Amino acid sequence: MGRLGYSILYVFLAIVAVIQVFPLVWLFMFSLKDNSEIFGLSPFALPTDPKWENYVKAWQGDIGLYFFNSIWITVLAIILTVILASMATFAITRMQWKLSGFVLILFMVGLMIPVQSALIPLFSMFLGVNLIDNPLSIVITYTTYNLPITMMILLGFYYTLPREIEEAAVIDGCSINRLFFQIILPMTTPVMSTTVIINMIYNWNEFIFVNTFINSNKFKTLTVGIQNFIGQYQTDWGPIGATLIISIVPVLILFFFFSNKVVEGISSSAVKG
Amino acid sequence: MKKVMSNKLMIALYILPALLLIGVLIYVPLVLTGYYGLMKWDGIGDMTFIGLENYMEAIKDEDFWSSASHSFLLAVFSTLSLAIYLIISLILASKIKGSDILRKIYLIPMLLSSVAIAQLWIKVYNPINGMLNSLLMTLGVDNPPAWLAEPDIVLYAIFIPILWQYAGFYILIYYAALKNIPETLIEAARIDGATAWQIAYKIKLPLIMGVVKVTIVLAIVGSLKYFDLIFVMTGGGPNGASEVMASYMYKLAFASYDFGYGSAIGFLLLVITLIVTVIIQKLTESKDELQY
Amino acid sequence: MNTKKAFSTIFVVLVALFLLAGCGSNGDSASKNDGASSDSDDSTVINFMHQWTEGSSAKQNKLVNDIISAFEKENPGVKVEQEVLSAEQYKDKLKVLAASNELPDVGQAWPGGWLKPYAEGNKFASFDDILDDEFRNKFAGGTLESFEVEGKTYGLPEEINITGIFYNKAIFEENGVEVPTTLAELKNVATVLKDNGVTPIALGNKDRWTGSIWYMYLADRIAGPDTIENAVNRTGTFEDPGLIEAAAQIQELVGQGAFIKGTNGMTNLEAENMFMNGLTAMYLTASWSLPNFTTNEDTPQEFKDNVGYFKFPTVEGGKGDIDSFVGGTAGVFVAEKSEVKEEAKQFAKFFVEKLAESSLQDAGIIPAMKLDTESLDLPPLVSQMLGDLANASDITLFADNIMTAQPAQVHLDMIQSLFGGNVTPEEFVEAHEEALSNNE
Repeated sequence: MGRLGYSILYVFLAIVAVIQVFPLVWLFMFSLKDNSEIFGLSPFALPTDPKWENYVKAWQGDIGLYFFNSIWITVLAIILTVILASMATFAITRMQWKLSGFVLILFMVGLMIPVQSALIPLFSMFLGVNLIDNPLSIVITYTTYNLPITMMILLGFYYTLPREIEEAAVIDGCSINRLFFQIILPMTTPVMSTTVIINMIYNWNEFIFVNTFINSNKFKTLTVGIQNFIGQYQTDWGPIGATLIISIVPVLILFFFFSNKVVEGISSSAVKG
Repeated sequence: MKKVMSNKLMIALYILPALLLIGVLIYVPLVLTGYYGLMKWDGIGDMTFIGLENYMEAIKDEDFWSSASHSFLLAVFSTLSLAIYLIISLILASKIKGSDILRKIYLIPMLLSSVAIAQLWIKVYNPINGMLNSLLMTLGVDNPPAWLAEPDIVLYAIFIPILWQYAGFYILIYYAALKNIPETLIEAARIDGATAWQIAYKIKLPLIMGVVKVTIVLAIVGSLKYFDLIFVMTGGGPNGASEVMASYMYKLAFASYDFGYGSAIGFLLLVITLIVTVIIQKLTESKDELQY
Repeated sequence: MNTKKAFSTIFVVLVALFLLAGCGSNGDSASKNDGASSDSDDSTVINFMHQWTEGSSAKQNKLVNDIISAFEKENPGVKVEQEVLSAEQYKDKLKVLAASNELPDVGQAWPGGWLKPYAEGNKFASFDDILDDEFRNKFAGGTLESFEVEGKTYGLPEEINITGIFYNKAIFEENGVEVPTTLAELKNVATVLKDNGVTPIALGNKDRWTGSIWYMYLADRIAGPDTIENAVNRTGTFEDPGLIEAAAQIQELVGQGAFIKGTNGMTNLEAENMFMNGLTAMYLTASWSLPNFTTNEDTPQEFKDNVGYFKFPTVEGGKGDIDSFVGGTAGVFVAEKSEVKEEAKQFAKFFVEKLAESSLQDAGIIPAMKLDTESLDLPPLVSQMLGDLANASDITLFADNIMTAQPAQVHLDMIQSLFGGNVTPEEFVEAHEEALSNNE
């Protein structure tokens, strides 16, 4: 490719980058406006008189508690999902058994269920085992409903892992557990971090399950903080914007600063181990 | 080797936790959905068993099929746009300057919740002072359309934010797949004098074909049960012009108090998705899986 | 080796967690759905689910909290636990709870078609045992009746909302137009405004019930207040010439550009804010917008000074009069299956009575009880609307309040089609007639 080609490419990439950054900038400006500015003026407009009090409003109430709940529920569900999905994918793609194809299809069908039609059955089931208004119901539901997609993403990578590695390991007298935890898992860290990010986004923004299964304020998550500003007849959008910004900050930080670190960290420790 | 890798106990240990969760939390609701579909039930009072009546009605229901056709259209567009995501990922994964930061920037929209994205696009599409129409009017377009109000346009107008929202998701997957390709393979090809285009097309693409196939399935399944932005931005309207299967099901079950019929639609959604997925699997099936 | 240790630890933790999730649940039945805090010894707990969120309806929310503390003070040993959800989530969750027979003890309810399945499914308790004549007479006419299903009252109304056309006085003045009292005048105003480059009417018809109010008014003004009601309760037909004419008038208004462009794709919230920003001259809304228009601190003073209100115009030769309103009520229910039904009913009664005492003054909500407004210091716009409400000849309920859910959905969809010009007025009434007769 010539110099001109590269220039065109960079211009294109830069335009796309601007388009992709714009929502974040927009959301930030949005969070400093009131309803009349948000709806009356052009979305490009800078806030005339930045309303930092939106952040104060957003931070009132129990948002700290919601934040904490969001974090531990998200993290726990991610760990469970990624480990369980990796184990199942490993068993399906690398181990030899007759029903592996069928079981894979079972997992894939799990992708297809529309959440709305599962709500009422799930509610009665959790009610039956006394898990309504218990955050475990949320953790378990997040874990389960993310398993199929996580497995699908892992699948392509597991198929391409070279057979020689496990052959060598098994010949060396390595057990399945050691093979999986010490060799396979570290090898799949890039794709695992991909699934971690995807799971994180899903869990962090989820609200239908939380609203349905949780009654007590003390177990609710950040997405509820947003609802707090949606009234019966009136919705206060500025603080919603502020809450959205507050809730996206940890995700952004993790994503921008730690995603590489995590990958590097795990792979280097794997090499040492 | 074989013996170790086919140890029944180990297989069970690895597969059962996940399978158990799926079985209880996904398959039970799934079966119940099919079962509720056999009932006349408003979701509040008593149920009456009516056999396959709901399913027969759904098959004759024009609104259902029109919503299904919209879902299919979304699936087609989602699948086609995978090509664009793939090209972008190939560029980002190649060793151009700044690819690392660009990659992260490109993924930003994915981090936003649907609540925020819906609000953003409602403002983009506002017919009077929305970004799009403001831009068009500065460019001299006299009477730009009201994007979300016109039945002929609304479906396409609402596809754009959906496709845009998911771009980051697929780019993330493709990028990880491309980074997984051993550097030595690409180096070898470069030494042999292959151009960037040849490396991408002849080496990288075949090697990540398995991942591409998976994303095709994900795109199709995701599209067929898609709900979020459509529900917030248009509610399926106007006049059902942007109704999709999931929003139609929701409307029946939660707004029309027709939980039995809504469940039947939900179950059909699943059956349709399953059939389409099987067809796609057969179409993209190849005997020889590539390995690095 | 470190990695191995780390992974094995995680694994052990996971397994432990699963055991906990699987078995632990049988052990602690204390956390059953009987309220948030299981530590509240042996006092009676009433669960109350509502939509008065703290962030957006701060005043209402405070009022609710004050009423609850007053109730708890008067009834030692009784605790009221709240669960506050946004409108959409509230209705969805209530459906899931109803399907699982787990309704909260007390919750918010809407009349007519919304209430009917809950009443018929025996989910809501009837209030007839506590509705003695004295209590009954406190409610404004028609409000309690809206919560009746087959002669029993399943909800205590707490608020009433009537609708009217709000307008921007400054815009009217600039363009030299007067408040219209007939449809012809309204059309004329719209034409003048449009010619001067002002969008006449803001309408967010993505939400559909918004456009429905326009239709309900025209139907009332042209065909008289009982025609739709009779069509719904099947003593009449929807294929009434007056109802066809009302649909035709909607399309005429659309045709002359009276409504904001792209109304079918716009939310009510967008429309309201465009009106409040002076981008349109008129906006049809209910009295629930009054706090936003009059007392809300974030609303610009300029708008507060300029906003006015007028009754929906009459139609020449029509059967309806100008003092008839389209509106709705909202109330509270008590679950039939509630374990604290008597206490819950007492709370519901206490709640609507206390709300009536201060909701207008403190939160701008018009209570469903008769009240003496003379002594209150209210913004002129509020007084004007209250006066009109007191002299109302009739109140037609919102379409989705009088129809049951299925015809109501058909109606709402048809409203969008009508505004979008996708159906003729004849097809519009036919679809209604069909939906209503199928639903008998």
